Amino acid sequence: MRRCVAFAGLVLCVMLAWVIPATAQSEGEADSSQPTVLEGTLRLGFDQYFAGVSIAVVDQSGTSIGQTVTNAEGQWSVAVPGSGTYTVTLDESTLPEGMGLREGFDSTMQVTVTQGASRAVVFAVGEAPKGTPFGERAAQTLFNGLKFGLIIAMSAIGLSLIYGTTGLVNFAHGELVTFGAVIAWYFNSSWGELNLIVAAIATVIVCGMLGAGLESGLFRPLRNRRLGIFQLVVVTIGLSLLGRQLIQLFFGAEPLPYTDFQVQERWEFGPWAVTPRELVTVAVIIAILLAVGLMLQWTRFGKATRAVSDNASLAETSGINVNRVVLMVWALGAALAGLGGVFQGLDTDIDPFLGFQLLLLIFAGVELGGLGTAFGALAGSLIIGMSTEVSTLWISPELKFVVPLAALILVLLFRPQGLFGVKARVG
Amino acid sequence: MPDELTPGIDEARSGTDELTPGIDEARSGTDSGHMGAEIEPILTVPPVIGAPKPHPILVVDDLTRSFGGLRAVDVDHLEVERGVVTALIGPNGAGKTTLFNLLTGFDRADTGRWSFDGEPVSSPSPDQLARKGMIRTFQLTKSLAKLTVLDNVLLGAPSQIGERLSAAPFRSRWQDQEEANIEQAEELLDRFNLAHMRDELAGTLSGGQRKLLEVARALMADPVMIMLDEPMAGVNPALAQSLMHHITQLAFEGLTVVFIEHAMDVVTGISDWVVVLAQGRIIAEGPPWKVIHDDEVIDAYLGRRRAGAGS
Amino acid sequence: MDFDIIFGNAARAAFGPEAVILALAAIGLNVHFGFTGLLNFGQVGFLLLGAYGTSVSVATFGWSLWVGILVGLVLSVALAVALGFPTLRLHAVMFAIVTIAAAEIIRILIGSTDAIGLTGGPLSLSFDAGAFYDLNPYPDGPHDRYGVGTFEFTGQQMWVITVGWVLVALVSLVVFLIVRSPWGRVLKSIREDEDAARSLGKNVFSYKMQALIIGGVIGGMGGVIDAIKTSGADPNGFRPQVTFFAYTALLLGGAATYVGPVLGAILFWFLREWIESFLRQLSAEAWLPGTVADFLDGSEGVISVGMVGLALVLLMLFRPQGLTGNRTEMQLDAR
Repeated sequence: MRRCVAFAGLVLCVMLAWVIPATAQSEGEADSSQPTVLEGTLRLGFDQYFAGVSIAVVDQSGTSIGQTVTNAEGQWSVAVPGSGTYTVTLDESTLPEGMGLREGFDSTMQVTVTQGASRAVVFAVGEAPKGTPFGERAAQTLFNGLKFGLIIAMSAIGLSLIYGTTGLVNFAHGELVTFGAVIAWYFNSSWGELNLIVAAIATVIVCGMLGAGLESGLFRPLRNRRLGIFQLVVVTIGLSLLGRQLIQLFFGAEPLPYTDFQVQERWEFGPWAVTPRELVTVAVIIAILLAVGLMLQWTRFGKATRAVSDNASLAETSGINVNRVVLMVWALGAALAGLGGVFQGLDTDIDPFLGFQLLLLIFAGVELGGLGTAFGALAGSLIIGMSTEVSTLWISPELKFVVPLAALILVLLFRPQGLFGVKARVG
Repeated sequence: MPDELTPGIDEARSGTDELTPGIDEARSGTDSGHMGAEIEPILTVPPVIGAPKPHPILVVDDLTRSFGGLRAVDVDHLEVERGVVTALIGPNGAGKTTLFNLLTGFDRADTGRWSFDGEPVSSPSPDQLARKGMIRTFQLTKSLAKLTVLDNVLLGAPSQIGERLSAAPFRSRWQDQEEANIEQAEELLDRFNLAHMRDELAGTLSGGQRKLLEVARALMADPVMIMLDEPMAGVNPALAQSLMHHITQLAFEGLTVVFIEHAMDVVTGISDWVVVLAQGRIIAEGPPWKVIHDDEVIDAYLGRRRAGAGS
Repeated sequence: MDFDIIFGNAARAAFGPEAVILALAAIGLNVHFGFTGLLNFGQVGFLLLGAYGTSVSVATFGWSLWVGILVGLVLSVALAVALGFPTLRLHAVMFAIVTIAAAEIIRILIGSTDAIGLTGGPLSLSFDAGAFYDLNPYPDGPHDRYGVGTFEFTGQQMWVITVGWVLVALVSLVVFLIVRSPWGRVLKSIREDEDAARSLGKNVFSYKMQALIIGGVIGGMGGVIDAIKTSGADPNGFRPQVTFFAYTALLLGGAATYVGPVLGAILFWFLREWIESFLRQLSAEAWLPGTVADFLDGSEGVISVGMVGLALVLLMLFRPQGLTGNRTEMQLDAR
């Protein structure tokens, strides 16, 4: 079952890894002096390659063009005479024991290639599907959905609070999530090789400081310059692009795992088989969400935050230091987003697009619940997380992000203000 | 402001309705028929809540709107007389703006039915009502900041050929109408002392000028009934004076005017009829000189004002 | 360091097909955002449907290219209508997020392995755009080049960009004609305050829908040009950042102006390619320390896209109205 989740991540990785060379090729003008080639790599993740698998190519008239077997890196290529449509067949019986083509992939594929181009052909290989009872799979996806929803919810707190207090929709919030995941990776696997728990704590501190720095160094001065809200949103879009590219520049585009907690024994609880790290993820996030909820409800800072969200100028005149509240909100929000990144990285490995991928779901969660309501954001995030994972019971995991986004659009069709939102008055 | 949370707008369901043919007749009927009957008929109406009027343009029944547990508007029966100035007054949070929003389609009522200009209005959309001649302004002015003052007024003109996409690219098809509209707009700007600002962006106007611009724009729409939400608020006394003059002038010209006002003294000068709202209910209606002596009004309204440190 | 080459590359990018595509995307956004105030963050979805509508029609169904182009444009209209109904009533921020989500849904679906038979799925789809190139009046021998020095195009490229820029000019003209009319005045009034427009009897939903469709079709045209240029389509060419690039071009040139989006698109590609070429040349310089050169090598593209982000931030800081925008209007915005 865990495989199923791993696959989801994998699909993304595979798509990424495959498509980058494919793009490069399609963008280069097909040079007719070059040989025309069909090629591909058979692998699972980034460490498992399948050698000795036979591949055959025939042209449209059924004439055999060539046959080959994959090398030690899982690569194969067959030269074809020129432009045309060819049928590529993978012999499944030559795959290692227990492996097969993933659902949705046929062992026979039609591809079209132009003269002088090389065309990548994808056969996604994975563990051959084993019969697991539906109930058990449903239970497992529910747990995965809960975990994913909690990660979204924790990352969403900052987005929601920053929107509430300053009206700013922070498009760079996803990059705060990625930044957390990546910094923790550096702490854990590169600099000093800290234990991941220590690394996560250090990450929370660094991200909190980054958030505070962004607010005091950039957004507060910009607000003081009376930049309009749209301009501020554009600034965050710019920061999002810049941040993502910087992360890619230093970290690279290849997904990497943390050093710690990768291989863990699964504990069985009834229909659930859960690793300790997943249990810790869920427990820690629930504790944090509770703490944040209590803090917003009962502490001075929490009350001040709610007052500022309600009416900033009124809060200001009643003696609340709005700038300080906003600074704290940024620090807290960024810290939680960073921690969300660590948990997400632990789940799916880390790449520069981790946060941006999550950002849309965070938006969806916050919006589904109703913009500006804390409880709505939590409920919305959980719904988004659950629907993402549970949908994999019926549809291919690579499509799982479609479900929550489509659900969002449907809900807004009937409740434009979100599930728990309140409409605003006119006039 | 406790009643700020109301549902937003529901857009046109079947938005393409053009002006219904009946309207023009109704309008001309008003013009000719009204003048002879001026002011007089309203004076014969007894000052009781829900009193029927001789020539009602707007008739409201069982209108309610709640937010959470709070009943913001609860009107059993209200008639608005055609061709006179009716003031809607009441303390803060009385539900005046909410009532306006309901009547003009900017908010949806929980229950209630009402008719405008002889036609029943069911689930109204603001733009449809506006096309029928019910034009409103807003408490917080909605001047279109990045359009010129002239364009602001021109926007009000009804049935513009050039507003149809099929005609828009071909200037010849809408130029004549546009020129006539510009002429009319300039007259209006002149009347509201805005002619010199014609080509300025509306966002550069002062608050008071924006109020005037909004009234000019509303008049450009050729209304049957104009509903002004606190037109005098935030306007300096001299401007307010001229605005009041304009409002009475409008009624002389046969237009029905309803306006929301907070200050009692303004109301007595220019209105023919006053409706007092408190906590969503009508607590009195009648000619201004009678209403201001009504005990309940003094309790609910003036009494509260006195308590409010003589503001 | 050869600045001739850098300049040549930059100029080629600035006037090449990529700039045409970006210009069309930005003109469409200008109708949405600049004139109507619709915060459409899913413009890339219209490009995607334009490109895939064309490609799938020709590659999968074997229809003629011209039918394919029509299909691409019709799909753009369909997206606008389908997207408009649930979303045009939403708060601006919500609209932005829903449009982003819608574009991503389409990209994921089209790029999924389940769709391989129809769209090629994660693989890029290629087709024969011969019908278009058959009309090419420019001699296109292996040695035919048009331009000066390093700023030159092949005959085939010349044909694409000629058609492309003529299209950009025509579209700009049409946008100019409809926006300066009373129709355009209603659009702008909706941008400023849609309740005011409503109170004056304007059917706001209908106008927004018209704007969404027009801007969407213009974006779809960008997608069609993209499909013709590459003789195919690839789901990864339609990530959300394409929309952000279009916003960058629009804001750079000046939103709510007629030449702004075109100027912005040209400048966007000029600067982006200039930076990339410059870095490529730089990383080959002998005097550069080896570690720096290694770091730069292969990262030029990553850095230049990052620079787009930086440019957006700086633009908002120092010239939020863009190159041709009106400063006063901008200041009214901030109030």
